[in-house]
Amino acid sequence: MLKLLGVLLVVAGGGLAGLAVARRYARRPAELRQLQSALQMLETEITYASTILPDALGGVASRCDRSVAVLFTAAREELLSMQGDTAAEAWEKALLRFYPDSNLTSADLAVLRTLGGVLGISDGRDQAKHLSLAREQLQSQIARADRDAAGNVKLWSYLGFLGALAVVILIY
Amino acid sequence: MSDKAVCFGKPGLPGGWPWPEVLKIIPASLRQLLGGLPAPMLSQLEEIRLRQNRPLILAFAGGDRFLDSRGGLVGSPNAAYLVSADDINRTLQLISNSSIYAVEEDLRNGYITLPGGHRVGVTGKVVLDGGRVRSLKYISGFNVRISRDIKGIAQKVIPFIWDRRNGRTYHTLIFSPPRCGKTTLLRDVIRQLSNGVAELGIPGMNVGVVDERSEIAGCFRGVPSLDIGLRADVLDGCPKAEGMMMLLRAMSPAVLATDEIGRPEDVAALEEVFSAGVSVLTTVHGSSPGELASRPGLQGLFRLRIIERLVLLGRSAGPGTLEKIFNGKTLQPLEVR
Repeated sequence: MLKLLGVLLVVAGGGLAGLAVARRYARRPAELRQLQSALQMLETEITYASTILPDALGGVASRCDRSVAVLFTAAREELLSMQGDTAAEAWEKALLRFYPDSNLTSADLAVLRTLGGVLGISDGRDQAKHLSLAREQLQSQIARADRDAAGNVKLWSYLGFLGALAVVILIY
Repeated sequence: MSDKAVCFGKPGLPGGWPWPEVLKIIPASLRQLLGGLPAPMLSQLEEIRLRQNRPLILAFAGGDRFLDSRGGLVGSPNAAYLVSADDINRTLQLISNSSIYAVEEDLRNGYITLPGGHRVGVTGKVVLDGGRVRSLKYISGFNVRISRDIKGIAQKVIPFIWDRRNGRTYHTLIFSPPRCGKTTLLRDVIRQLSNGVAELGIPGMNVGVVDERSEIAGCFRGVPSLDIGLRADVLDGCPKAEGMMMLLRAMSPAVLATDEIGRPEDVAALEEVFSAGVSVLTTVHGSSPGELASRPGLQGLFRLRIIERLVLLGRSAGPGTLEKIFNGKTLQPLEVR
């Protein structure tokens, strides 16, 4: 009886771990797409309305998807915190708050980091260029993420359970 | 945000001294240096000058002083704190709210106005477009001019610019060299006229203010942050000539006030205002009535012989000293009590 309980625990644990990995793969493309559309909103705020950056970030945070809103909310908070941070520093701190709970990879993070370095420090035309470049880079990350998801979601969904079963068989 | 701003306050500073607003645009490293200054010194501070790779200079009513790297005041530039490229970059981000794209127009004019009406002059490399200034890049210097809101300084002036017999304000030109408090005086005159002065029998009146540089009312998002009285309407950031026409048509002002006239189109717009029977209050750089009258941009104005009062400010007893008031028609000084 105790053995059976152990087997169940191992299989359930392994299975759930696999599902968690699969879920990360499945969610990443959606998150990247949400980021892409949020950056589009930011570009509109900056180029057409010339909204100052803290307000523009706040506006994007209130309209974009919940999965990525924390990045923009955090960046706005950092900018308004009166610590004297530059936009780049505020964005970096926001990324550190956003990234651990997101499903992004370090390559995705690198795209956002590069954008932070130029945020707010040039005229409207230049800002539009940098933002659309970031969106293009996210587009290629999305293509990659879609490919990864297609292969890995199924793989990890099964791999967790099957791996756990293999462990059970080995122990027996 | 406001909670944090409170801790920027410094005990011992006179009420209304805009320390928190000024400190917000100073990089964190310099805030500590400046924050170490005693309150009586800070209350005398008029300008903070930041020039890349050169000493940080504080301009006080009594003259310039350097700040050393421990936050003390020194008289010699050798011991002074040198402003770094990082200080300049951070200041630029702070004065523009990290949004250079939103202040392009201001940079083209060479200054950015902060909430509270403080003007930050900016220098750097000019980018031309077809021979005209398009923007500034490689920004390397700032002059933070601290604007003061001093209530009551117009008290001495008001009796001279109020025409008791006809119950109207005289057309008045306030003039002085830079840094003598023209805008501060103008603001207080606007405040007193728009509130009304009971002792002199002056009723409150509508005052239209064209605040091209946002210095008079210190507007933030269109709402004045400085007290300009109950009946003052402000067109913020508007070119003077156009703004005067807009207010004249739409807001039925008894007095129109604007800062630093000097271009021919300003004078042309003023003529229109005169003929509409609205009193004009304005300021201009200058040191004597004769010099003003000979200036190309103002010749037209003086030829009209319509300005009735000229108010000269100076620094003989500190900034904002009322030196003389002239009759605008005869250019003879009036007795100042």
